[in-house]
Amino acid sequence: MIEGILVDGLIFAVMAMGVFITFRVLNFPDLTVDGSFATGAAVAAMCITNGLGIFPGLLLAFASGAAAGAVTAVIHNRLKVPNLLAGILTMTMLYSINIRILGGRANVALLRVDTIISNVIKIGGSLPREWTLLIFMILFTGTIKVLLDIFFHTDLGVTLGAMGDNEQMVISQGVNPKTMKILGVGLSNGLVALSGAMLAQYQGFADANLGVGMVVQGLAAVMLGEFLFRSNKIGMLTIQVILGAILYKALMFFGRYYGYYINLTPSDLKLLTGVLVIVSLVIAKTRENIGSKKWGIK
Amino acid sequence: MNKKKAIIMLLILTMISGTIFGVAQEESSAYKIGFSKIVTHPALDAVEQGIVDVLAEEGLVAVYDYQNANGDLTAAASIAQKFRADKVDIAIGIATPTAQALANSITEFPVIYAAVTDPVDAGLVTSYDKGEGNITGVSDKTPVDAQIKLLIDVTGATTIGHVFTSGEANAVLLKNLAEEACKKYGVKFIATAVTNSSEVKSAVQAIAGKVDAIYISTDNTVVSALPSVADAATYAGIPILSADPTSAEGLDILIAWGFDYYKMGRRTGYLVKDILEGADPADIGTVFMTDPSDFELWINLDTAKKINITVPSEVIDAASVVIENGVKTEK
Repeated sequence: MIEGILVDGLIFAVMAMGVFITFRVLNFPDLTVDGSFATGAAVAAMCITNGLGIFPGLLLAFASGAAAGAVTAVIHNRLKVPNLLAGILTMTMLYSINIRILGGRANVALLRVDTIISNVIKIGGSLPREWTLLIFMILFTGTIKVLLDIFFHTDLGVTLGAMGDNEQMVISQGVNPKTMKILGVGLSNGLVALSGAMLAQYQGFADANLGVGMVVQGLAAVMLGEFLFRSNKIGMLTIQVILGAILYKALMFFGRYYGYYINLTPSDLKLLTGVLVIVSLVIAKTRENIGSKKWGIK
Repeated sequence: MNKKKAIIMLLILTMISGTIFGVAQEESSAYKIGFSKIVTHPALDAVEQGIVDVLAEEGLVAVYDYQNANGDLTAAASIAQKFRADKVDIAIGIATPTAQALANSITEFPVIYAAVTDPVDAGLVTSYDKGEGNITGVSDKTPVDAQIKLLIDVTGATTIGHVFTSGEANAVLLKNLAEEACKKYGVKFIATAVTNSSEVKSAVQAIAGKVDAIYISTDNTVVSALPSVADAATYAGIPILSADPTSAEGLDILIAWGFDYYKMGRRTGYLVKDILEGADPADIGTVFMTDPSDFELWINLDTAKKINITVPSEVIDAASVVIENGVKTEK
């Protein structure tokens, strides 16, 4: 069971890293996620069922998510609308587009076709299924984490991070923040879509409603991660996100598992998600206050 | 601060270790049955209740684990994980996505689907005639063809309107079936899609001027907005055939013809019983609700009067429930 939670959490962590990039690095609260997660799932599912292959499917899923994110950034840049609204607009439009991608259907099954998950299980041979998947997902999510770390050490990545801190500063360096936003939000949603593509294969179906409530869950994972330890190094920050994602999935699982003892029904889990985010916020706030008192800074 | 953190970490660790080392769930002779439901919905709840009632009547002792994904499809996989960890005797997936998630990750014990319209299209089984390994179940496909024919016979409609939810797999399938039936009987078919129940009323208003009759399938979202369908259609003088009799009570629905989800739940209950008693799911084909006694035909003569339609007497004779002058008569 623990291996199941870890696999689930590692798939989820890829999405959470996307949310981390927009909410934390870019300071661009982006709600496109609810739509782009399902887009990734839909694109991958259609590529696989139409024989285009698994890896092209994953790549295309990433690309379509990135395109969706870029649309949000462009709406925000060009029309000068708040980023929250731009995200909601894209997310709303994506609902229709996702159904188009799925060929006018709401649900495409991946139960009896070769997926990355079924292939990995085959390679694993006699190893228990979940443990094989766990090893694979550690490699998969680990690779993405390392790539992200490398990216955030390049000039481009550093500029992206700097823009989230102080937009004026990057402008004075002669960098166009609009391009940076397109890049950053695109990258974020690409990761989200990739996570959706993996989940669709893990769950055995892509569905038009797959992304509902993703943003809040991703945010909860990011905040839980921050609660674990403090750091400002990108390598540690991405580890925080991954651990946060696993912790979040574990808490939800235990809410389902043991909630029954304290009369917590499965329909209370959404409340639990919200409370988790609020508790993390409160803890972060108290820490800040304690910190400022101790060091005498405001 | 650190103390607080330590306590929280300790709590989490205890929970994790508790599950690794297998929390001793009380061992008893009772069967463990897990329900994975996509969302709380009167029809889906009725299925659950039907299963539980049948097993109780048949004297099977069982403990039930009612799980619900709250419409969050990513939770469907976690629920499957939980059932595997609990080693339930049977997992029952109610509605398409939750059934798919169970079927995808569970191989060690039987998985039963219920309220899935087309299990082959959903990838659950490859044929209606037999189960697939550990998977079998009950379909909630309604006789769309016969329903459309009845609607045409009673109302003489030449254009039939339909409202469906684009995000609901079952609804899209039923829309396609209705479209085929209309083509077969040579009537025009106008469908309009909604994404949630708040759009249903305006969708009906949008097609009301173009159609002679409206067909409503067992689309969960549209059925939950049935009062607004009835309201808008009756205002425009258009008759409705709904595939869900249970929700037609008290509404201006000329014809309601379908089966009760509670009865479908009972049918599923007998399937569960057979499998618990040793039947192999692989040998059992998808169960369809075909027994005439499973179906209910409701005719609302008050609505007929309001919109000036004469219902043929043989249809009234065949009806199991007739509503006239505000009085509901069951035959």
